[in-house]
Amino acid sequence: MKTITIISLLGLAACAATDIEDPAFEGHGANPWTELEREQREGPPRYASRIHSCTKMRVATLGNLLASRGVDLAAQDDLAAGKIFSASAVALGGPKYVDRIRETTELGIATASKLFDIYVQAAPEMIAKLPTSPDCMKNGTPAQLFDNNNHCVASGFSCLMGMPASPEHLAICNETVKRANTPDEGKRLAVAVLAAAAHTCE
Amino acid sequence: MKAAPLFLLVAACMPDPQPPPNGTPTDEWDDKLAEREVDYSSALRIAALRLTGELPTLTDIESVYLAPDEASKRTAYMELVRRYIDSPKYVRQMVALAKDVLRMGDNPDPQRPPELDSAPLFMAQVITENRSYLDLLTATSGTCPTYDATTNKFTAGDCNNGGTTTGLLTHPGMHEHFFGNLAFRRVRWVQETFACTAFPAEIAEAPIDVQGATPYTGKFPFTSIAGTANGGKVNFLSTDSVICANCHSNMNHIAPLFAHYDQGGTYSANFVVPLPLPGEPAVAMSDYLPTGEGMAWRFGVPVTDMASLGRAMAADKYIAECAIDRLWNWAMGKADIVDGGAKVPTATIEAEIIAFQAGGYKLRDAMYRVFTSDDFVKF
Repeated sequence: MKTITIISLLGLAACAATDIEDPAFEGHGANPWTELEREQREGPPRYASRIHSCTKMRVATLGNLLASRGVDLAAQDDLAAGKIFSASAVALGGPKYVDRIRETTELGIATASKLFDIYVQAAPEMIAKLPTSPDCMKNGTPAQLFDNNNHCVASGFSCLMGMPASPEHLAICNETVKRANTPDEGKRLAVAVLAAAAHTCE
Repeated sequence: MKAAPLFLLVAACMPDPQPPPNGTPTDEWDDKLAEREVDYSSALRIAALRLTGELPTLTDIESVYLAPDEASKRTAYMELVRRYIDSPKYVRQMVALAKDVLRMGDNPDPQRPPELDSAPLFMAQVITENRSYLDLLTATSGTCPTYDATTNKFTAGDCNNGGTTTGLLTHPGMHEHFFGNLAFRRVRWVQETFACTAFPAEIAEAPIDVQGATPYTGKFPFTSIAGTANGGKVNFLSTDSVICANCHSNMNHIAPLFAHYDQGGTYSANFVVPLPLPGEPAVAMSDYLPTGEGMAWRFGVPVTDMASLGRAMAADKYIAECAIDRLWNWAMGKADIVDGGAKVPTATIEAEIIAFQAGGYKLRDAMYRVFTSDDFVKF
């Protein structure tokens, strides 16, 4: 186990050298400034390593998600969610193994923007077809995203997000629908917003 | 995280804090860890996405969420993680994971043998069949399998690229994909993939002044590798700018084994990798190591051939730790441990490493433990 002498790193000559044990640092060419910047952003490795990070969703996983919630990935319309998805592997951070490049795990702004584009375009398909998805049925009963009064339904949004829809989720959803010019516009925005929020991180 | 710089500054000028006798948290980071709460529903979503590539079904979501108490939630969660790992979709995910770990796959030319795919397929087979992870370094056959997604079955296949087979170390796809001068790109792949660190691989306890701008820090004697003064055509002993030997002290003791594979990944009894010098002279052992110096995985760990390298790596405790490091980072959504610098302190995964070693180095079993660990289910 190596140590990082923080005192020398920071150039604090006024106080005596104090070694801080950092089990993650093994001296393998790590740039101390990069390590310091990382600790400032994420906390020390003993903390950061034990909490979940916000990793980008894999491109293939996103495709599975969209398809399982009602999106036609074979759609050919340029503005269809499936077409945007299938044409956006690079923007979504997909791998390029021929160049020895693995899929990116960090979520960039361009990728996040592309994801939101996809969810906005996917929302009408999801509203129409999510209830018929086998993944979104329980005991043969389909989950609806909205009831007949255009209110957001917990089971439908739970299935959309992959986790239980909380009262806060439903409040945001209902408020989004209420504030829109039309119910259909509001429902589309609500689905896109909650899908994007839930699936920004894998 | 804006408090971190202040924390570091303060820490630099104060004695190391001693944990109080009752074991209570000692700083803000311990407090933050202690503040996490178990959330099986959030954990289930992540586990489903990682292990199956899909969201949990509504039935799965509610089986955890609607469970009457914490113990029931945990039971339901653990049963679902087990089911995910037993599902065919898990195999698909392990193929994808292996491609990312190995940085290989998606054979671009259907007219050619699918060797870029068979290396990650072999890794996925080792994981999903719950074989020893060390087979990746020691298997003597079956390292070029095929996979039928419709039947979800692997079919063992030999690589037939000449020479003996030693896990992925002799894999033709790897040798083709990472072909380069003096085989150093292959050596770097081995180091970063299986040891989880970039070169330099070993750091001596005390640096040595070699009359350069910076000292030599390798464990091997400085003159144990080739330079123009001891018979080599490339001066790895140069101290003019950087100290080349800091990395090459390890690289040169390994690379000759990888120099026997040509651009297509086929074994040759001769060295068949390029030497980037005018006239393209042939590579010789004297370009790596001076006369009398033997190859080695690490200082004090001699090897003579690829099989002994595989055994030496398999016996290196850091190889097993690296496997768990990578698994942990994948599960927790971290960046790559080398490219992204997402270090995992040994203390974080000590229990997983011990269980991994005691259980026969089975990554599939390790995945279940990690995805059901306290850290994974807390947010």
